[in-house]
Amino acid sequence: MQGLSEMAQTTLEPQDFTGLQARRQALDAYWQQGVSGYALVRKHSEFIDHHLAGSFAKIVSAEDGFALVAVGGYGRQELYPFSDIDLMLLYDPARKNELNRVVEAILYPLWDTGLEVGHAVRTLDECISHAAEDFFFRVAMLDARLIAGSVPLFNKLTERYRTVYIEGKRQEFLDDMLDQRTKRETQYGRHTYLLEPHIKESCGGFRDIQSMVWTAQVVFGLKDLASLQEAGLLSREELVRFEEAQDYLVRIRNRLHYVSGRKNDQLYFEHQQEMAQAFGFSNQKEILAVEHFMRDVYAHMQAITVTTDLFFEHVEEVLGSEEILESAKAIEPGIEVRQGKIHLINTELLQNNPKFFMRLFYQSARTGIPLHFRTRKAITANLDKVDHKLCNSRRNAKLFLAILETPKPFRILEDMLDTGFLTSYIPELAKVKSLAQHDVYHVFTVDRHLIQTIKELEKLKKEESNIYAAVSSPHILFLAGLLHDVGKGYGHDHADRGADMARNLGARLGLEAGELETLDFLIRNHLFLSHTALRRDLEDEEFLMRCATRIHSPELLAMLYLLTIADARATGPTVWNDWKAALLLELYLKIVLLLERKDLSEHEQTRSAELGARWIREKVSELIPENDKIDFDLFSDDYLLSFPPEVIVEHIKQAKNLGKQDVLFSHEKNKESWSILVMTRDRSGLLARIFGVLALHNLNVLAAKIFTWADGTAVDAIEVSSAILESYDGQNWEAMEKELHLAIQQRLGLEFRLSRKLAPLRNKPKGVQQRLAAKVKIDNKASELYSVIEVFSEDRIGILYDITKTLSDFGISIYRARIGSKADQVVDVFYVLDYDGKKIEDPDFKKELQQGLLYAVTNI
Amino acid sequence: MKKIEAIIKPFKLDDVKEALNGIGIKGMTISEVKGYGRQKGHKEIYRGAEYIVDFIPKVKMEIIVDSSQADDVIETIRQAANTGKIGDGKIFVLPVEEVIRVRTGEKGEEAI
Repeated sequence: MQGLSEMAQTTLEPQDFTGLQARRQALDAYWQQGVSGYALVRKHSEFIDHHLAGSFAKIVSAEDGFALVAVGGYGRQELYPFSDIDLMLLYDPARKNELNRVVEAILYPLWDTGLEVGHAVRTLDECISHAAEDFFFRVAMLDARLIAGSVPLFNKLTERYRTVYIEGKRQEFLDDMLDQRTKRETQYGRHTYLLEPHIKESCGGFRDIQSMVWTAQVVFGLKDLASLQEAGLLSREELVRFEEAQDYLVRIRNRLHYVSGRKNDQLYFEHQQEMAQAFGFSNQKEILAVEHFMRDVYAHMQAITVTTDLFFEHVEEVLGSEEILESAKAIEPGIEVRQGKIHLINTELLQNNPKFFMRLFYQSARTGIPLHFRTRKAITANLDKVDHKLCNSRRNAKLFLAILETPKPFRILEDMLDTGFLTSYIPELAKVKSLAQHDVYHVFTVDRHLIQTIKELEKLKKEESNIYAAVSSPHILFLAGLLHDVGKGYGHDHADRGADMARNLGARLGLEAGELETLDFLIRNHLFLSHTALRRDLEDEEFLMRCATRIHSPELLAMLYLLTIADARATGPTVWNDWKAALLLELYLKIVLLLERKDLSEHEQTRSAELGARWIREKVSELIPENDKIDFDLFSDDYLLSFPPEVIVEHIKQAKNLGKQDVLFSHEKNKESWSILVMTRDRSGLLARIFGVLALHNLNVLAAKIFTWADGTAVDAIEVSSAILESYDGQNWEAMEKELHLAIQQRLGLEFRLSRKLAPLRNKPKGVQQRLAAKVKIDNKASELYSVIEVFSEDRIGILYDITKTLSDFGISIYRARIGSKADQVVDVFYVLDYDGKKIEDPDFKKELQQGLLYAVTNI
Repeated sequence: MKKIEAIIKPFKLDDVKEALNGIGIKGMTISEVKGYGRQKGHKEIYRGAEYIVDFIPKVKMEIIVDSSQADDVIETIRQAANTGKIGDGKIFVLPVEEVIRVRTGEKGEEAI
């Protein structure tokens, strides 16, 4: 221990290290000694100074004629381990012949150490003309510092520089500075809290600090931060906070160069962990060391951003004050609008009456006019007045909720966050302030992410206006956006915890019970849709039905959907893309259609069916000769909707022949199938006989529409194809018509003919498989009038005969049927009544019928 | 060596990955892709607005394996990705000439 304290007492000086080669060794030694932050960069600068001055003295005999000048960061004596060393050799043109020798003596040793040297060799005139062209050089000259050589020459340069570029050029300087600032913002992003902040160029980085100091120098003649406070441009608290942040950044940059082993000013993801350890953070249960560290980084950079923003607003106002001087306009007692900004007339108002906090934000939200920087500063300075009473005031809460309902709440909430008001008013949010999440998805800190979500919701209002229209209480949606991650920073289950916290907060804001439910639901389920869209089968009807039941109403679904998109977009560029959008939209539409089918659609469906049937009646009347009277009561809506008007007219015409003929049969060739129409007087077992004859003639039934008019005329339209690939013309239609007549008139031994025909099939031992596939459902709820029987089975020739024969044996009348096959599966639906014209209600009979049908479809 | 490319339904990704891990496949490349085959895009109408889904989101997996393992991998993917419905996807098998590990320069089977 003795040794250590002794070491700390002896301070190393630049001369203790011989030669520039010892630079690394010198830096290590300083670091070991505990020199860090500003002290270290200054030591580094002194070390370089010492050696440069040495080389200079050796080569230049006469003092005048040459001046070695440090510019930029080196001029400010801020040299980070791998910073560029920006040098300028100023020379008198009279001594040009010595120039080469001097340059070689000074620059070569620097190059040999591998340092990046930015160098220029110029005469005084060249300097001045170069500054005209190069903004960066013009700014770098502000920090010019003489290392060695002629003092008069150096003084002449600074004087001329001042006369040409500074005096009377304050506005131009500011314009250039703001211009550069905007360029930086577009290149590096407006936000300090991006995943990998750039310590130098990002918002709240060194460039922001320097621009402030330079501008203060040029515009006000103030040379450092302390004089900014003396001049009243910064409050005492602001200065302390700013310097603290600045010092932190210096330490980070030092270490970052060290860790990366090169000139690197960006806190890359892969360096963050090592940096966190170097800064003494360790992992805790809920928050990682690196998250702690990054939280500090973001908080400090944010402090710098806020201070410099306010500073530049101030400067702009000072320089622009001569332009317009319109009179102030009061918008409510104590608050007025002056030159396009909202002002609090007297900052003491905040101390005496805290209601002004929210009133200011509310007025800014209502009018769209920003708060003046001095008013924002006053808000920050008086945050201690945001007390328990204010947080629980209903009147205050009403204003807050009203802000959320204005067209553009994002800007206001960002102001609230930047001034610190938001976390004072909603202390629940303090835990997520500047909270970083160490992964590659979350680009923003949690608090920024929440504000960003509001911004995205704002955009979605327009982009998804159709869906947004379903939202009747937008303030709840926006509140959910603001609070959805409030449960972060405590470990797992942030959604559930957040919902609980939001419920308490909502109660404090005076939300009604229903609104609280909605808020709770939205936050608790804010990940549900995005997880579901990626992980569940969107064709699983049963699952979708469960989603619909869980979400309950189209409005809640719309809110959840909008929140999900806003949340994803506000998380980062990798989280949201077309691909996910497509999945999420599909899920949304599937659920919403289920939800709406119940209330809206059922009604609309019957309504559109009624309209459709009426239209067809009109069409049919038009097509029928005037002297033909049609009794439309014969036809059900369902029948009318199943055929085109021309076909119905054809049925009506054909029916006239039924007096002369018992059975009407016609057939027609279509593109991919053949259509058969059978019309006759309805009788028991009719369908079975028709299907039996079709089977005898090797015809597969693809689809069938079976109807019975009210006068007992059966109209059976059947789509068939040949099971043995016979051509249409090769099909023996005449024999078939003959057999159909015989069968319908019960003069054909269908059973025995079919059994002989199908005999070869019985040898195929497929029984087990078929039994598995077959299913019979009898549903009495699907239709008001009829029992609906659904038969699922594997397709085979003659199966419809077997089914309909069985039904007929049970005395069941078939009123309508839909026959369809999907791939190899047959799904046949029959609308039936029992022998007494009643639904099949008796459970025993129902079971018997089911068994009978199963036997029929599985027994070959 | 073979490259096996499988286009599957997104929600089946975890199942397929797990099944492949089960037969010792450790590395694969996954990407989000869009396309359509027999399962065409569709149009939905909701509240008067048309939502056209012209390409359907799918996941593409790419796996390089030794030829002897290819059938195993294919069958594993096929079983795990199967829902029996249209749009379950496709599996493509391509010959691979060479595989080189960037870090070590190892080639062939060693580099898989």
